[in-house]
Amino acid sequence: MKKFLALLLTAMMALSMFSFASASSLAGEYDVTIWVAQEIVETTKAQVEAFNQTNTDGIKFNATIEAVSEADAATLMITDVEAGGDLYCFAQDQFARLVQAGALAKLGVAAQEYVVTNNAAGVVAAAQSGDAIYAYPLTADNGYFMYYDKRVVSEDSIESLEAVIADCEAAQKYFAFEMQTSAWYLASFFFGTGCVSEWHTDADGEFIDVTDTFNSPAGLIAVKGMKKLVDSPFHLSSSSGAEFESGAAVVVTGTWDYKTVEGILGENMGVADLPSFEVDGQSYHIGSFNGCKLMGVKPQVDAYKAAALHKLAQYLTGEACQMERFENHAWGPSNNVAQASEAVQANPGLSALLAQSPYSVPQGQIHGSWWDIAKVIGDDVKAAQDEAGLQAALDNYQNKIAALFTLSDEVKNGWTVIGTVNGTNWDTDFPMVKTNAIWQSTEAFAMEAGVEFKVRKGLSWDDNFPAENFKVETAGTYYVQFDEATGTVSLVAAE
Amino acid sequence: MSVNVSSSKIEKRHMGLKASRNLSNTAIYILLVAISIIWLIPFVCILLQSFRVESTIQVGYVIPRVWGLNNYKNLLSTDFPKWYLNTFIAAMATAVFQTIIVLCMSYTLSRFRFKLRKPLMRMMLILGMFPGMLTMIILYNVLKDLGLTQANSVPGLILVYIASSGMGYYVSKGFFDTIPKSLDEAARVDGATRFQVLMKIILPLAKPIVIYTILTAFMAPWGDYVFARYISFGTSSGKNVAVGLYDWLNHDQIDKCYTMFCAGGVLVALPVTILFMCLQKYYVEGVTGGAVKG
Amino acid sequence: MIKFNTLDYLKLSKWDRFCLKIAVFLNLIPARIFALVKKLLILIKNLLLAIYNEAADILVTFINGDWKTRLSYVVMGFGSIARGQILRGALFLLFEIVFILYMILAGGHWLSLITTLGKKGPSTTYDPILDVYTPVYNDNSFKILLYSVLTVFFIIAFIFTWRVNIKQNKIAQKILASGKKLKSSKDDLRSMVDDQFHKTLLALPLTGIIIFTVLPIFFMILVAFTNYDGSHNGFTNSLFTWVGLDNFNTMLSWTANTQGGVQSYSATFGEVLTWTLIWAFFATFTNYFLGMFVAMAINKKGINLKKLWRTILVLTIAIPQFISLLYVGKMFAKNGIINGFLMNMGWIETALPFWEKANWARVTVILINIWIGIPYLMLITTGILMNIPQDLYESARIDGANAWQQYRKITLPYMLFVTGPYLLTSFTGNMNNFNVIFLLTGGAPTNPAASSAAGSVGYTDLLVTWLFKITTGAEAAYNIASVIGILVFVAVAVISLVVYNLLPSIKNEEDFQ
Repeated sequence: MKKFLALLLTAMMALSMFSFASASSLAGEYDVTIWVAQEIVETTKAQVEAFNQTNTDGIKFNATIEAVSEADAATLMITDVEAGGDLYCFAQDQFARLVQAGALAKLGVAAQEYVVTNNAAGVVAAAQSGDAIYAYPLTADNGYFMYYDKRVVSEDSIESLEAVIADCEAAQKYFAFEMQTSAWYLASFFFGTGCVSEWHTDADGEFIDVTDTFNSPAGLIAVKGMKKLVDSPFHLSSSSGAEFESGAAVVVTGTWDYKTVEGILGENMGVADLPSFEVDGQSYHIGSFNGCKLMGVKPQVDAYKAAALHKLAQYLTGEACQMERFENHAWGPSNNVAQASEAVQANPGLSALLAQSPYSVPQGQIHGSWWDIAKVIGDDVKAAQDEAGLQAALDNYQNKIAALFTLSDEVKNGWTVIGTVNGTNWDTDFPMVKTNAIWQSTEAFAMEAGVEFKVRKGLSWDDNFPAENFKVETAGTYYVQFDEATGTVSLVAAE
Repeated sequence: MSVNVSSSKIEKRHMGLKASRNLSNTAIYILLVAISIIWLIPFVCILLQSFRVESTIQVGYVIPRVWGLNNYKNLLSTDFPKWYLNTFIAAMATAVFQTIIVLCMSYTLSRFRFKLRKPLMRMMLILGMFPGMLTMIILYNVLKDLGLTQANSVPGLILVYIASSGMGYYVSKGFFDTIPKSLDEAARVDGATRFQVLMKIILPLAKPIVIYTILTAFMAPWGDYVFARYISFGTSSGKNVAVGLYDWLNHDQIDKCYTMFCAGGVLVALPVTILFMCLQKYYVEGVTGGAVKG
Repeated sequence: MIKFNTLDYLKLSKWDRFCLKIAVFLNLIPARIFALVKKLLILIKNLLLAIYNEAADILVTFINGDWKTRLSYVVMGFGSIARGQILRGALFLLFEIVFILYMILAGGHWLSLITTLGKKGPSTTYDPILDVYTPVYNDNSFKILLYSVLTVFFIIAFIFTWRVNIKQNKIAQKILASGKKLKSSKDDLRSMVDDQFHKTLLALPLTGIIIFTVLPIFFMILVAFTNYDGSHNGFTNSLFTWVGLDNFNTMLSWTANTQGGVQSYSATFGEVLTWTLIWAFFATFTNYFLGMFVAMAINKKGINLKKLWRTILVLTIAIPQFISLLYVGKMFAKNGIINGFLMNMGWIETALPFWEKANWARVTVILINIWIGIPYLMLITTGILMNIPQDLYESARIDGANAWQQYRKITLPYMLFVTGPYLLTSFTGNMNNFNVIFLLTGGAPTNPAASSAAGSVGYTDLLVTWLFKITTGAEAAYNIASVIGILVFVAVAVISLVVYNLLPSIKNEEDFQ
């Protein structure tokens, strides 16, 4: 990354000598259509006007601002790119599809630089396909936290899931945490125990790979935690702030419901990051997704118009505009400087989000079907009677992922080391490489006595060796070796 | 003696019948009242909800705690009036042109016997079995090339509504079939052209079905969601009420727009309902006369 | 074939008669299928024969024609103009000129690309000075396909008109030869409002139907043989081409998964089709019988305020279905009015999952459809009920029949007889009933095995709503949707034909009263 940046800077200095001359050639009037959410239409109008006044390139935009919701924007752009808005806002889960449809213009060198320096790595990843950036991050507040009724849930209880549930049951009020209709929320338990579901795309936006560890001992712990919640008679699977109106005392939702909840609870509204749950004596803080909204530029045939639009997009996703949106509509900014500002830190909703952020996982690119496959876990967990049932839920999930998106043959037939190696807890696969019919771990592990591990195939427990966990006797640094023909696992000391 | 006995028996039978008839009548009255309540509840609810001002979210109770006209006022500040106007224009234009086309079609198929008549009717029956969804993308592209989408969606919508309306000739044709052909014959013997027969004799008799067709044609554009969404393609000024109102109920906006939706719904239902109630007689005649003959 | 004479037939018990009817029906099926196939073959034979006849006629006319006729083969309308029918001739000539111009300017170009559907796809170029990536759009497969189809239609229309032109010449020649006079232009105009009035009346509607219904359907059938979808939209990301029967294979195979789901297209198709048939059946018949019941209840002697009851029910038809369905859908939501009411009354503790569980949702949808449909059915059945001669009922009552028997033997057969065709169209209409399902549930609850990416096929999805999701969802698989559309059409057509041919047999059976 550093090398790349250095190269970038040199290239930029070289180019800037040219760009000086061309900056003024951008001057002119452009008719553009901008699609933004209903809420910010007026604000955006003002911001475009401000851009027209303040930009130094002589660009003047005659902008028609249309209220198009983020979901609609993506669908419409995919249907007909030509007729779509020149600038449009969309939620990141549509990103891969939009790249596939040719509806997003790749960012030029300087623009990519701009995005990388101004936003956190996780946010930038949301706008990346392959190695190129295709959109500008607009907000980074698409996450969730806990709103609670102070009259029901006490300050002491909000750290522990069990305590919150107990408070709700005592007051006969609902704990609304969407577990059955949306995978976005229930994945939080898995993230809390360290499971991952990472999808990789190529430069065209096609999904090529997935690393998914939901079906693992850590995943089992997660569903046990989930079971505690869904088994309560006062659990409600919903994520609407309006639930406070109909008998809820806790609702897990995001900043968009802030006004609604405030309107209902008034000063009884409490905001906090998600609690922790306890399984087998260990405490796990519930994680969350952290997503963002992006602004994309439609590919333009006219290069000058394209350049002008990119400048406008950079302005609209710049610190000043993001702060303005924060002040007027409580949209959490993605810009690093804006996020660090006092005002943002002071906003209760956003501060809860920030408190949650160490445990939150950037949403990244996720296969569209993952949502439907994962949300079944909630139903399965609720129906499960015992641990076998819980495990079945996970197996079910994994089968669907495997069927939907076949792991590459390399991964399917590859062996990995998994165990308590390097401080992990049976939740991380360490790769091995095959040389002359012997598989060897790619790195040497520093292991103490008592570390246990196994070798497994294709990220699943179908084939694993040895039958009983391999226990390390003497501490040392070793490579793990595995002979596929005989099924023998051995340690080889590293020099 | 036997006569008396039998007459009293008959009396008893009559009285038994009467009693049972009263019982069944009462049962039917109760049923009808229950049905009326159930049928009217949603509309009463939507009307009441449109007056709720204390919150704009969806709630579980019906009677508002604070009454007011806020929701109607808020409607005016959104694009709702434009959508309303769009839909109204589309409805008027459709009412006029669709009626003309449908009447042309059904009159011809009812009165004339020409070689292609049966194949034509069969063809249209088969064409009607194709799901209309599929054709939207191509109609959208055709209209786009003609420049009739987005801001110009209203002419585009009207064009599509009326162009294929000839396929809905079924009910009207059934009605025309009930008008005796002897009238036609008598007029032609007197030297009238077919055109004059249509205008001077048939049309006055066909008043119920004409009004029925106008009514159904007027009502259709108010509820067209799928196609209008395609054609308006993100341009708010080109939407019709169906698209606009639907968007208010989606996940992002429902918390702010639920009561506005109710108010909008009331306003949309108003002209159609009033028109319908006034012309109810003709609608019923059209349905009962034409819908089951054909 | 089992044959009974009348006396023996009447001797049979009810159950035996029923079995007999079923046996006869089943026996007839192979014969019916055979007859259908025979009809199809005869149709094809007639078609080929007709084409042959036309070709022969064209040749014969040329041989027998005078110089005016022969010239008309090249210059359309010449013969008519030369013989004094200026109007007709001018129209033909105009059409020919327009056609030739079109083919030279545009038609030829489009047709040449029809086999490949475009040669050069889009690409991206980088402008280093401005530091932007700009797309370069080349061929547009969609437009190529669309305009090629239009051109083909145009050519067919031209051939047809040319044929008519030839025929006209032949007829005119014959008339002149026999010494009669030809129709003048004035006569033509007059006949347009008289004996040819049907042509005048039909011109505009048929043109509209051809351009806005036939053309799109034809186009979509063709799309089923291409790979036109979200990743190959023909213009901005990639061209699309012909793929033959690949889509049909995907659709009907058991292994290819739905986009984003884990079960095959055919399994999903089977599931959705089953639900569609069940839905259509229940939607049609519950409405029918309940509507009839309500109509009879209102119609009964001794019930007052008939008009009031009817008006209240008819009010439901007046309110746009869009509003009422959307609103009622929200009423049944978890935090909606119905649940709120039930919880306030204390009858339930937690909200009823009307839209969250598959079977709940299906039943609720059928119930709400009853709410929508009964007023309409009530109107129709009222009209018919009033036409049943009352003395039938009187004689039945004297014979000692109670209300139920009267219904079964008089009302029901009469109603079924009159509304048979209506029931059929209602059934097929319900199979394609998009509004009710889409506005009420949007297809929810989701069927995770069948879900399509960003489309979420659900347990209440009909074939049409599934189609809609496929085309407007993120994958925009127009090609698969077309295949499904064709299959839907075949299913509906088969059902219609079978049932329609069945109706006469029912009619005949019940006619003996």
